[in-house]
Amino acid sequence: MSPGPVAALGALLLQFPFDPVYLRSIVRVSLYVSCVAVALSTAVSVPFALLVAFTDFPGKRLLTSVVNTGMGFPSVVVGLVVLFAVSNQGPLGPLDLVFTTEAMIVSQFVLAAPPITAISLAAVSAVDDGVRDAARALGGTRLDVALVTVTEARYGIATAVLAGFGRAISEVGSVLIVGGNIVGSDGVSRTRTLTTAIQLEARQGRYETALLLGAVLVCLVLLVNAAVVRFGGGRVRR
Amino acid sequence: MILRTRGVSLAYGSESVLRDVSVGVDRGEVLAVIGPSGVGKTTLLGLLSLAVAPDRGTVELDGTDAWAAGESERLALRRRVGMVFQEASLFDASVARNVSYGLRVRRSWPERVRDGLRSLVGSPDAEAVDSAVREALDVVGLGDSLDRHAGSLSGGEARRVSFARALAYDPDVFLLDEPTSDLDPRNTAVVEDAVRRASQRGIGVVVASHDMHQAERVADRVAVMLDDGIAEVGPTERVFADPDDERTRKFVSGELVY
Ligand SMILES: Nc1ncnc2c1ncn2[C@@H]1O[C@H](COP(=O)(O)OP(=O)(O)O)[C@@H](O)[C@H]1O
Ligand SMILES: [Mg+2]
Repeated sequence: MSPGPVAALGALLLQFPFDPVYLRSIVRVSLYVSCVAVALSTAVSVPFALLVAFTDFPGKRLLTSVVNTGMGFPSVVVGLVVLFAVSNQGPLGPLDLVFTTEAMIVSQFVLAAPPITAISLAAVSAVDDGVRDAARALGGTRLDVALVTVTEARYGIATAVLAGFGRAISEVGSVLIVGGNIVGSDGVSRTRTLTTAIQLEARQGRYETALLLGAVLVCLVLLVNAAVVRFGGGRVRR
Repeated sequence: MILRTRGVSLAYGSESVLRDVSVGVDRGEVLAVIGPSGVGKTTLLGLLSLAVAPDRGTVELDGTDAWAAGESERLALRRRVGMVFQEASLFDASVARNVSYGLRVRRSWPERVRDGLRSLVGSPDAEAVDSAVREALDVVGLGDSLDRHAGSLSGGEARRVSFARALAYDPDVFLLDEPTSDLDPRNTAVVEDAVRRASQRGIGVVVASHDMHQAERVADRVAVMLDDGIAEVGPTERVFADPDDERTRKFVSGELVY
């Protein structure tokens, strides 16, 4: 690999072409929207995966295929649907969410939930029935058995959360549509994320700046991955 | 009788496994349920553990019909029974956490949340391990293995931990499914000794086994299961020396080959 781009990036880092307040606000919006969306998706997806894996109910097959389809759902379409939902005519219109971080959270929730559900479902389904039976035989309630199942599937669920987070934070289509890529007159991001900032810089021909933002985004993803791996797997000695 | 079935029947689909079975265990007694594999011993233990409802008949713990009781009362009854499966099926955690599981689920939620948070911030220290957990592990000869991970245990050690897991919460009745199958003589001796100790403490023990010699070593009474019912129940020595039932006689003498 030629050292050219790396050297250019290093030089750029030194001269730092951003107002730190601006850059920090973009990072904050990105992290805030993705983390809240992923937390909400996880809170819904994991119990849902348990339900699908261990109970029978009408419409289960249909729901599972909706989830699987959802994994490949184009984010711009999700953005459009959410934009319509929060617009004046939409069902969420009265909440007045157009071009807000809340609307972005809604669309990222929709995007992150299918992969988190699908991967969690595979993880909890793989938990040994004997372990679940043991939890029950040792005096566990249904909730205790569910907790044991989640604990046993924790590495898989951590992978699911990371996949959801990766989809949310690196996604540009829907946050652009529902968030509007807004920066306030004070130079602080309202709804601009790293991804929408990157596409803006790239469109205006400032490739180095775009690249630098891209590097920040990659670092963020790596950091979050490391944190989740540490949290999910660091406490258990094998 | 601390735990008994009265006229229970159970079928898997159209295949009847148990038909009109009445059997029970007293406090402080070891009952061996013997019979060829596939006869329904595990199924019978499933009924006795109150995990599975019979198609017909009742299962009573201390005189209470478990399946006539409400859900929360049945949970309370279930928690007085310790069931040890043929597979160790340990949790992916330390030996101490495995053995303390039964105690933990019996605590109140505020306590459990507090303990959970505590173990998140600090490493779980030795003091926090309940004395019941230590005692249970001592009984199976693994008192020094508290901090080992379940995945690092040998097969025999894992089976002994799964035994200790049920011992720790001091049940009134113990149900053991083939407790020593695949175990070497040393592990077998540890487990059989633990069975005797449990019964001496007043626990009623039911051991399902296809091993007649094990029944002779540990049991006060044996129930011989053949086909879909109990062919004969009685004091161990008498059943082996002088069975009433013709099929039992053939089974214990090895003439009846399944
Ligand atoms: N969950 C199940 N579904 C269908 N058939 C089963 C199930 N469990 C056991 N059986 C059948 O019931 C019979 C008794 O099984 P089991 O109670 O495991 O016998 P044992 O423990 O004496 O070997 C066997 O024929 C077995 O195939
Ligand atoms: Mg069996």
